Amino acid sequence: MEDIWIFSEKQELTLELLNPGRSLADRMGAKLAVFTADGGLAQDYISHGADEVFVLPPLRPGQPLESYVVVLADEVRMRNPGVFLLGATPRGKEIGARLAVRVNAGLCSGCTGFDLKDGSGVLEMERRMFGGKAVQKILCSTHPQMAVVLPGTFEPAARLPDRRGVVIEVHSAPFSEVRIVSRSAKHREGADITEAKIIVCVGRGVESKEDMEGVRELARVVGGEIACTRPVAEERQWLPEEAYLGISGKRVKPDLYIGLGVSGQIQHVAGIQESKVIFAVNRDENAPILDAADYGVVGDVSRVIPRLIDELSRLLKV
Amino acid sequence: MLNIITCFKCVIDEADLKVDAATKKLLFGRAGYKISTYDRHAIEEAICLRERYGASVTAVTVAPPSAKKCLKDVLSRGPDSAYFVNDPSFSELDPLQTSSILAAAIRGHMRFDLIICGEGSDDLYAQQVGPALAERLEIPCTTCVGKLAYTEDKKHVIAERRLDDGIETVLMPLPVLVSVLPGINTPRIPTLKEVLNAAKKMIFNLALEELGDIQGPYSRTVKVVAADTDRRGIRFAADEEGIRSAVNALSKEGVLLRVL
Repeated sequence: MEDIWIFSEKQELTLELLNPGRSLADRMGAKLAVFTADGGLAQDYISHGADEVFVLPPLRPGQPLESYVVVLADEVRMRNPGVFLLGATPRGKEIGARLAVRVNAGLCSGCTGFDLKDGSGVLEMERRMFGGKAVQKILCSTHPQMAVVLPGTFEPAARLPDRRGVVIEVHSAPFSEVRIVSRSAKHREGADITEAKIIVCVGRGVESKEDMEGVRELARVVGGEIACTRPVAEERQWLPEEAYLGISGKRVKPDLYIGLGVSGQIQHVAGIQESKVIFAVNRDENAPILDAADYGVVGDVSRVIPRLIDELSRLLKV
Repeated sequence: MLNIITCFKCVIDEADLKVDAATKKLLFGRAGYKISTYDRHAIEEAICLRERYGASVTAVTVAPPSAKKCLKDVLSRGPDSAYFVNDPSFSELDPLQTSSILAAAIRGHMRFDLIICGEGSDDLYAQQVGPALAERLEIPCTTCVGKLAYTEDKKHVIAERRLDDGIETVLMPLPVLVSVLPGINTPRIPTLKEVLNAAKKMIFNLALEELGDIQGPYSRTVKVVAADTDRRGIRFAADEEGIRSAVNALSKEGVLLRVL
């Protein structure tokens, strides 16, 4: 039986993958199985579509999540699934790549969608290339077909009535030569940028502390969260690292993205391209952001920001 | 002395890519090549480690023959020598294939204590080659590294990983592979002396026949098209009237509803 398997250390991602997982399983007449380190979530996953939940043995202190690679590889070799979907957290991406080598299978990483080719059981998987400028469709010729799927690609699975499933304990021991010596949790300053409906993004064109004050005022007026591009996060350090948007940072889908002094490098646009509306201000008429935007203003941010604040304050009666 | 390998990829400069609006085809015609951005940081990190601890640094790439143009650039950034594993059939490798070829080349020809890769390439950003290479060489690895150092006994490395939920600091025995994020360092600009010196450094060419068993392909690309950019690109003037029109346009889109 060519079962569909799912693994993510994050509950939200597992629930997202249960959505296409369930459709695939139904279409292929296969079972849908979830691998989790948290046995307490098993019933939740079953009621969201899993037929089987495999509970991984707990990690010992100091063992990184990637210690599960050997365990997952053993399970794949033993049970021979047809498809393995993993959630694309940073750890998930590493696990996916290493697992693919261990089981000698092909892998679509950064997967943004897939389609079952009629009758053949082959998934046509989609991902982005060239920083988001192109869409690449690939087929994995090997077995299982593997994909590491980007968060937010699918809506979370709906709860289904009268679901029954089996919970199975996995016994192979996790192993890694890598040892965690310390962890420091991210302290979020302000709201989660990936949930924000309006984002005001700071690029290199915002040069002075006064400009930055203007940005904060604009964000306040419009009710938006402040983010930045990677160079601003790394070089200026005016904003915390988790505020940067782009291919190696956060991907966001706000209703409105306002880019101030953002040039629009492809790696940044890759992180914002699902915004409903993109509005950009840049003094360079050839800046790539202006073509990647719905609306743009060619002008200096120092002069434009105060005018934006005036107009928006009037309109929003702030 | 510690031996460091740094892997790099020569990629099309995506800023040069044009799109044929009618067919949605990508036009590569006039595009230049460059060392993939994150790989530049990997090379720089190897050089920084050499400066701090003493090491030999070897740069390695798997590429079609046309990538030769990147070798001088790489060598001017500090590596002592380079391995150019090349074959005309290497122009459309999937990352798992690339990792297999790299592993075969490294196993057969190089000694190493530490391998440094960029987290992902500018063209594919698959983030697979580093961890896959480590698996094939049967050495531990870690990814998303923002800071790297050897321990005092020089038998381990300590790496800080920048992850979604915070920073994770890990300890790993040598030999080991890490993939690095751009925040780890700022690549220096080669001096004229370093550029001229690059011409004197050794480049070892490795052909397909010298590699032994390699695996793959694992996946097949069936289509590459330009992504939909149905953005309007409407521009407004920067004066008061223009800004007013811009704000009205945003209002009409319904995106200015303030969240309280």
